[in-house]
Amino acid sequence: MAARFQTYWQKFRRNFDRWSVVALLLTLFIIVPTVFLLLQLIDGPGESWGHFVENLLPKYLQNSLYLAVVCSVLTLLLGVSSAWFSTRYDFPLRRSLEWLLILPLAIPSYITAYAYAGVFDYGGPVESLLQGLSPEAAKVDIMNIHGLAMVLSVSLYPYVYVACRAFFLHQSQSLIEASQVLGQNQVRSFFRLILPLARPAIVGGVILVLMEVLNDYGAAKYFGVNTFTTGIFKSWFGYEEFNTATYLAALLLVIIFSLILIEQRQRRRKRFVVDGKGGKRLARIRLRGTRGFLVTAVVGLPVVLGFLIPVAQLLYWAVQVYSQVAWGEYFSVAGQSLAIAGMAAALCVILATALLLAGHWNRLRWIGWLTKLGVLGYAIPGAVIAIGVYIPGLVIDKWLIRTAEATFSTKIGLVLTGTVIALIYAYIVRFLAVAFNPISAGKQKVQNSLLEASQSLGKGPWATFFRIELPLLQPALLGAFILVFIDVMKELPLTLILKPYNVQTLAIEAYQYASDERIMEAAFPSLTIVAVGVLPVIFLNRLIRQD
Amino acid sequence: MLLTINGLDKSFDRGKVRALCGVSLQLAAGKTYSILGESGSGKTTLARLIAGLERPDRGQIHYQGNLISSESQHVPAEKRAIGYMFQHYALFPHLTIAQNIAYGLKKSPRGRTVVEEMLALVNLPDYGGRYPHELSGGQQQRVALARALAMKPRLLLLDEPFSNLDTSLRVDLRTEIFAILQTTGVCAVFITHNAEDAMAISDEVIVLKAGTLLQQASPQALYARPARPYVARIFDALLELSAPLLAEFGYSAQAGRQYFLRSHHLSFASENDYRTAVTVHKSAFMGKYYEIEVAVAGQVFRVQSPAPAPEGTGELGWKESDLLVFGE
Repeated sequence: MAARFQTYWQKFRRNFDRWSVVALLLTLFIIVPTVFLLLQLIDGPGESWGHFVENLLPKYLQNSLYLAVVCSVLTLLLGVSSAWFSTRYDFPLRRSLEWLLILPLAIPSYITAYAYAGVFDYGGPVESLLQGLSPEAAKVDIMNIHGLAMVLSVSLYPYVYVACRAFFLHQSQSLIEASQVLGQNQVRSFFRLILPLARPAIVGGVILVLMEVLNDYGAAKYFGVNTFTTGIFKSWFGYEEFNTATYLAALLLVIIFSLILIEQRQRRRKRFVVDGKGGKRLARIRLRGTRGFLVTAVVGLPVVLGFLIPVAQLLYWAVQVYSQVAWGEYFSVAGQSLAIAGMAAALCVILATALLLAGHWNRLRWIGWLTKLGVLGYAIPGAVIAIGVYIPGLVIDKWLIRTAEATFSTKIGLVLTGTVIALIYAYIVRFLAVAFNPISAGKQKVQNSLLEASQSLGKGPWATFFRIELPLLQPALLGAFILVFIDVMKELPLTLILKPYNVQTLAIEAYQYASDERIMEAAFPSLTIVAVGVLPVIFLNRLIRQD
Repeated sequence: MLLTINGLDKSFDRGKVRALCGVSLQLAAGKTYSILGESGSGKTTLARLIAGLERPDRGQIHYQGNLISSESQHVPAEKRAIGYMFQHYALFPHLTIAQNIAYGLKKSPRGRTVVEEMLALVNLPDYGGRYPHELSGGQQQRVALARALAMKPRLLLLDEPFSNLDTSLRVDLRTEIFAILQTTGVCAVFITHNAEDAMAISDEVIVLKAGTLLQQASPQALYARPARPYVARIFDALLELSAPLLAEFGYSAQAGRQYFLRSHHLSFASENDYRTAVTVHKSAFMGKYYEIEVAVAGQVFRVQSPAPAPEGTGELGWKESDLLVFGE
C-alpha cells in the first residue's frame, strides 16, 4: 500500500507541471458559480420556502414538464422528418431548404414569441383572415401554455434537425441496401432500421431542445406562463426572496445535470453505431411531380413557421415604426451590444483555447476530467448562472468596499456587480463551451503527430502552439468567436439579472419594449439580432457542407 | 553507450494494456538498429518512450550518460535532441518544404545553408519552395528525413518508414535512405514489422514480442542462434520434433527441451548425421524449392528440398549442427 502510494506520488510529482496548474485554475475560475449554487442545496432554502412549495412550485413544475414533453414531441416531428427527407430524397428547392431549415436558430425564441403574438393579435393577419371568413369567428388565442409550446417548438426544432442530419448523412448505403434486399421497403427501413440507429443522435438533439426550453424566460414571461425559470425571476425581482430564487436555481441545476448525464450516456452509445466508412454514402432518391412538391411542402413548413412568418411580422412592424425610431439611441444600444458581445466572445475564445491547450499538455488524468466540468455552463440556464455569479460577486464587492475604506480610506462602488465585469464573467461561464467545442473539433483535425514532430524538433509547447496549432486552428477560432458573439447578442435572462443600470443591450431593449406593450418598437432591435444571427447559420451551413 | 535502457515498463488504460514489460537494451553510437515486431508488440511505444513522447511506468533511460526518463524524472521531448521520423511523415501542411526543414533550426544564415545541404542530401534540391501536399509519398518521406537530420541528432528513430510504400519502391527507398544515413553517421533505429527490411539495413536487430524483448543481435547471430522459436520463425518455417520422433532418427532428446528444424534442413542427402526411413507422399513444385510431404512413424510433415523426391520410400535426415534446441 505504502509502496503503491509512493509510486503514485512519484508519478504525480513528475507529471504535475505548470500545465496542470493552468488547467486547474481555469477550471476553478469557471465552476465557481456552479459550486456556489450546489452548496446552497446543502445550506437549505430560506423560511418562505414552505409557502412557496405549497402554493407555487407544483404549478411551475407542471408547466415546465408540459412544455418539455410537448416541445420534445413537436421538435422530434419537425426535426426528424425534415432531416430524413432532405438527406434521403431529392425534391424541388431541396438544396436551399437544407440550410434554410437551420435559420430559426438565428431568432431567439422570445423574439419568435413576440412576432407570433402579433400574428394572432387583434388586427393581425390571422384575426383579419378569420374575420373575413365569418364575422362571428373567435380570435385564436395563443397567449397560453399551448401557444408557448408551439412557438418554442418551431423555434427550437433545428437542434434535432442538425443532429439527425449529421447522422443520416453518414449512414452507409450498404445498410439500407441490406434492408431492402431483406424485403423492407423505404418506409419500413426507416422505422425498423434508421430510426433505432439514429436514436442517440435524436436524443442528443432533443436534450438540447429541453435545455433551451428550461433556459427560456422571455417567451414564457410574454405569454404569461409560469415556469421554473420565470419562477426564479419572480422570486428574485418580484418578491425579492433571494433565498428562494437561489434554491430554485440550484434545483434546476440538478435537473439539468441529470439531463447531461443522460446525454453523455447516449453519446457513448453512439460509438457502437456503424458509420459510413466502408460503404458508399446514401444516394438521394429523386422525387418528381406531385410527390416532390408534397415533400417540399412538408420540409418547407418548419422554415415558414420558424423563420419566414416571424421575420415577416417583424419587418411589417419595422416599416410601421420606421419614422419614429430614435436612431441615436438605437445606434448607441447596438454599439454597446456589439462591444459587450465582442469582448465576451474574444475572452471565451482565448480561455477556451487556453483550457484546451492546458488540458492537452497536462499529464494528470484527473485534471483532464476536471476540465470537462469547465464546459458544462452551456447547459445551465442563464438565470441560474446569473444568480450563481451575482451573490458571490456581491460578497466580494462588499469586501472590496470595506478593504478600500479601511486601507486607503477611499469609497469605491460595486466593482464587479456594478459594472460589466460580472456580466462578462457570467457570459464566459455560460458560453465557454460554445467556443470550446468548435476549437476542440478543429484541434482534433490537427494530427497529434504534427505536435510531436514539432516537439522532437526541439520546440516546446508555446513555440508549437504559435507556429503549428495557431495557424492551423485559425478557421476554428474565427468560427468559435462568431458563435459566441451571436449567443451573447441573443442572451436575455442572464443579462436581465446582471446588467448594470447604465448599460443597455438590444436583447434587453426588445424585451422592455415588449413588456411595455410597445411591441412594434421591439422590431428594430429584434431584427438587428436576427440579422447578426443569420451570419453564423450560414457559417454552420458551410461547416456541415464540409462534413 | 549512446543509449541505455533498464527495465522499462509501460502500460496504457490504467494498466489494462501492457505495452512493454521489463525491456532493457543498449545502443552504440553510429550503428544502425531495427526494432522488429508485429503490430501490438510495443515497438512504437518503445520508440516513443525513447523520444520522450511517452513516460514510463518503471525503468530508466539514459542518453549520452544522462538520465532522461524514469518514474520520477522526465526530460521533455523538445530537450532531448533525439530525431524522430513519423510513420505518416507529419510534415507541417502550412509550411513550405524549406520551412519544414528549417523548423527546428535557429534563424540564421547558417540555418539556410543547412536547409540547402539537407535538400541536396535527400536529392530534392529545387523543392524548397513547394508545399508538402504537392509532393509524392516518397518525396514527402525524404523531406521528413531531411527535417529530422537537419537537427544533427546523434540518435534518429524512424517509425515504419517504408510501410506506406509498395514493394518495388520500398527497396529503392530503403537503399537510398540507408545510404543517406551512412553519410551522416547518425545512430539510426528503424521500427518495422518487416523482417526483410530489418535484415537489409541493420547492424543489430531487436526483436519484440508482446512487450517483451526476445533478442538483440546481429542478423547473422539472430539466424544462427535464435533465443526463442519465435525468433527463428521470423526467417523460416519451423518443424517441431517431438522426443519419439527424434528417437526415430536415432537422436535421444533430453527432458524439458524443445527441438526444431528449419524445414529446408531436412534432406534426402547421404551425409546427414541422423537418418530414418520415410514414406514420400508427394512432391509439389513451389518455384524455388519442392515441397515434399513425408510420413515418419505415422506423423505427416512437409519438407523443403531443392530436388523432387521419388514417391515411395526414402531416407530422410538432418545434420546435428542444424538442430535448434531451446530451453534448459
